[in-house]
Amino acid sequence: MPGGGREVAESCVDSLNLELVATYCKRLHPNKPELAARRIEAIGYQVGLQLAERYTKERPRFADHLEAIKFICKDFWAEVFRKQVDNLKTNHRGVFVLQDNKFRWLTRISVDSAPPGEAAQMDVNAAANASRASQAAGQYLYFPCGLIRGALTNLGVACAVSAEVSTLPACSFVVRVKV
Amino acid sequence: MAAIASTPRMRCLYIFNRDGVCLHYHVWLRPLTTLSPHQDQKLMFGLLFSLKSFTAKMDPVGGNKGNLGAPNLPGQGCSFHSFRTNTYKLSFMESPSGIKLILITDPRMGDLRDALKYIYSNIYVEYVVKNPLYTPGQPFKCELFNATLDQYVKTLQ
Repeated sequence: MPGGGREVAESCVDSLNLELVATYCKRLHPNKPELAARRIEAIGYQVGLQLAERYTKERPRFADHLEAIKFICKDFWAEVFRKQVDNLKTNHRGVFVLQDNKFRWLTRISVDSAPPGEAAQMDVNAAANASRASQAAGQYLYFPCGLIRGALTNLGVACAVSAEVSTLPACSFVVRVKV
Repeated sequence: MAAIASTPRMRCLYIFNRDGVCLHYHVWLRPLTTLSPHQDQKLMFGLLFSLKSFTAKMDPVGGNKGNLGAPNLPGQGCSFHSFRTNTYKLSFMESPSGIKLILITDPRMGDLRDALKYIYSNIYVEYVVKNPLYTPGQPFKCELFNATLDQYVKTLQ
């Protein structure tokens, strides 16, 4: 890590993230989820801008958009989430999908299991639980979307980023490059 | 060929917080239940509260006795760890934040203090305290917690 090598405990980052979502989505704007999402994403945007500066201090400019996206998938993700993006897909027309099969900030989300019922109901319960967990997890992806958007914007790729959760803890980020 | 499952040596696990709320009750083998769950939990909490203050007061060496009712710092007071009868063994651990873990097992199990420490710091803290969907102070039944706990308990038997 460049600089003086100061470190912060990861549980601090986890707790801060938790509180960020809880404050914006429950306390400040409980009836306006869109507004809360935009605010959190804006914070992520600022952070992403500055992180991109730090992590590309020594590197030359990127040749094209694909190089910048690959940088996000490998080096940026490794610095922020300590692993690389598992899968990158593109339609070669400005849409990229970054897939992370074990997204670090979603690994601990789980809902209460329903009280034990009959065997036939167990599958239904499991499916219902999984979908409830996926919906709740969506709120924790606003900040990473902002991170990606800020980093890419600073590297010269104007874009819009959205996220989807399929099954926890896997999620995917869709980057649409603006032409 | 189906493997014959051995009788589990772990019977049940209770987790209480500082105020006596039973946050979690996990059962693996409990053939005989005489009380309703609510009464059972109140009885368990009351027993441990009394046992802890009893052992602190009866400590013959004297020294640093904790305040009655307040959670102890590690090493403060003389807290007991387990008791054994001819049908079960009860192991107990209290964290500095007042979370009490009680494990009921087969009487032949050895010292479970390390297991309780592991359950607290690697399973409870990781999957419950750090779970964004959990409100502290409420009972929980998180799936990830249950799954990890079952997996860990299998390695103890």
